[in-house]
Amino acid sequence: MTAFLIRRLLIAIPTILFLIVLSFVLMEVAPGSPFDSERGVPQYVLDNLEAKYGLDRPPWERLGLYVWNIVTDFDFGPTFTYRDRTVNDIIAQGFPVTLTYGFWSGIAAMAVGIPLGIVAALKQNSWIDTLAVGFSVGAQVLPNFVMAPILVLVFTLWLGWLPGGGWGGGQWNYLVLPVIALSTSYMASIARLTRSSMLEVLNAPFIRTARAKGLPMRRVVWRHALKPAMLPVISYLGPTFAFLITGSVLIDVFFSTGGIGQFFVAAALGRDYAIIMGVTILYGVIVVALNLLVDLLYAWIDPKIRYA
Amino acid sequence: MPTDDRSRANVLEIDDLHVAFQTTGGPVHAVNGLSLRLPERGTLAIVGESGSGKSQTAFAVMGLLARNGRAEGSVRLAGQEVLNLPEAKLNRLRARKVAMVFQDPMTSLNPYMRVGEQLAEVLVLHEGLSKRDALTRSAEMLDAVRISDARGRLGQYPHEFSGGMRQRVMIAMALLCRPALLIADEPTTALDVTVQAQIMTLLEDVREEFGTALLLITHDMGLVAEACAETIVLYGGRVMEQGPTEALFDDPTHPYTAGLLAAVPRLDAEGDEMRAIPGDPPDMSRLPPGCPFAPRCPLVMDVCRTVQPPLAPHGPQRRACHADPEAVG
Repeated sequence: MTAFLIRRLLIAIPTILFLIVLSFVLMEVAPGSPFDSERGVPQYVLDNLEAKYGLDRPPWERLGLYVWNIVTDFDFGPTFTYRDRTVNDIIAQGFPVTLTYGFWSGIAAMAVGIPLGIVAALKQNSWIDTLAVGFSVGAQVLPNFVMAPILVLVFTLWLGWLPGGGWGGGQWNYLVLPVIALSTSYMASIARLTRSSMLEVLNAPFIRTARAKGLPMRRVVWRHALKPAMLPVISYLGPTFAFLITGSVLIDVFFSTGGIGQFFVAAALGRDYAIIMGVTILYGVIVVALNLLVDLLYAWIDPKIRYA
Repeated sequence: MPTDDRSRANVLEIDDLHVAFQTTGGPVHAVNGLSLRLPERGTLAIVGESGSGKSQTAFAVMGLLARNGRAEGSVRLAGQEVLNLPEAKLNRLRARKVAMVFQDPMTSLNPYMRVGEQLAEVLVLHEGLSKRDALTRSAEMLDAVRISDARGRLGQYPHEFSGGMRQRVMIAMALLCRPALLIADEPTTALDVTVQAQIMTLLEDVREEFGTALLLITHDMGLVAEACAETIVLYGGRVMEQGPTEALFDDPTHPYTAGLLAAVPRLDAEGDEMRAIPGDPPDMSRLPPGCPFAPRCPLVMDVCRTVQPPLAPHGPQRRACHADPEAVG
């Protein structure tokens, strides 16, 4: 297992490097520059700016320097749009925000979605199953950019219970609406996935064996069916968590959370290569890490998978 | 030994069992009016092609019918009515009074649990043993089904066992609480031919050792001849013929039984072609009004297509056929 872990971590290095090079090349070939603006800036000013940020050097040299700074100093470089802050500052400021509400969204989606899916499967075709399936379908056709304004309308403007935006230093009442808006559709997907997976497992011959042994349904479900039924859910949760904790652009912008998504959008519009690259790499590292975690969970559940 | 049947109590009594499934295409009648008696320590085979209702009979006894299935009639385990019993009461009978070995040992064991735990949980639940004692008893039982290094194999997962070994584990699991009745549903169908004989020998041995009655569900007439005193031949959910196995083999009185026997490959037979019964098994959702075997029967008469023949005694057997018994064979 240790050998497997080390090998996987070693494989992650070229993966991330490839991601860096690819993002860099895409940025390079995209038209426009961070210093384009409506007002004509004199050429000598532009030259000075480019020299300051090293943009006058050949691309391969800039790429090498960029990677070198990350590896040696964990330095993602200066930004082009915020003169007083580096990319590290931006990530340090925005990432904890998205990490917080993204993490709680993931927890909420799991905590509601998994039990709902299990109950729906156990009581197939009952009213609770109909309710669960109805909720799942409803939540999936209601995207978060529709959900968010409705939530704010109801809970902020009408009822006045919760703040409709801002971060408040991460207090719980500021978290509630973004978490609901972000997690609901994942909740629905997890519920549906859990339900169908559980139904399939409950029809497996080994479940019939367990029932033939006179085990109460409770033990059949918890001890025999739950682990295999969770396999597809876990492989879905890996990338989902990665997506959630790197933040949703829509949620950041709509609720003005100050999360990393807001910076990401601004950077894309302002051609701020440094921020785009930094956030992309962060996202890549998280995806790689969570996929590794999924693989480890798989090995823990399925004894046929043994990594060596 | 059918002669001393009367001196022994019956472990299983089934009267006029009907099993039907509600499907979107209408009801499917899987079993229609099956009755049987299986004495303590007795052996009985239910023989038929796939879809004949033989497995559904077993599931009705275990209370394991699919959700859309309904059973009617009477099934008594050691005198107690079990049909349509609530799950909680069934769970007290399962493993203790009746246990079942399934067809495919590859999928019948939980691949995500250690074999030891799958065995031990039965004893912990039904006999209140501690985990440690349950594991010791489980190892003894693996020993009894001739699995070497039983103690060491408790910690292994099903995929670390061969098919034949897994079926041994299933048999051990079924016998843990020493049930009065063991139902074996096609226990050798999924196994290699060489292993089939070992498993049948093992079933015979443990049956005698543990004093268990055996209800064998199979399509293989060859197995029946060796393993079971009594035989029921099912077709289209109906009993075609039932009686002592020896009589059935020596003097089949139903054309379907005769056809099944003729289809058993024999090395000493003249010619070398395989003999099959022409035609296909019936569509269970559209059974003909008369005898279900009529469309494939070599002795079919007009009356067979319209009138269901009653199950009537003939010598030591009972047969459901309009044809002259002397013409069969």
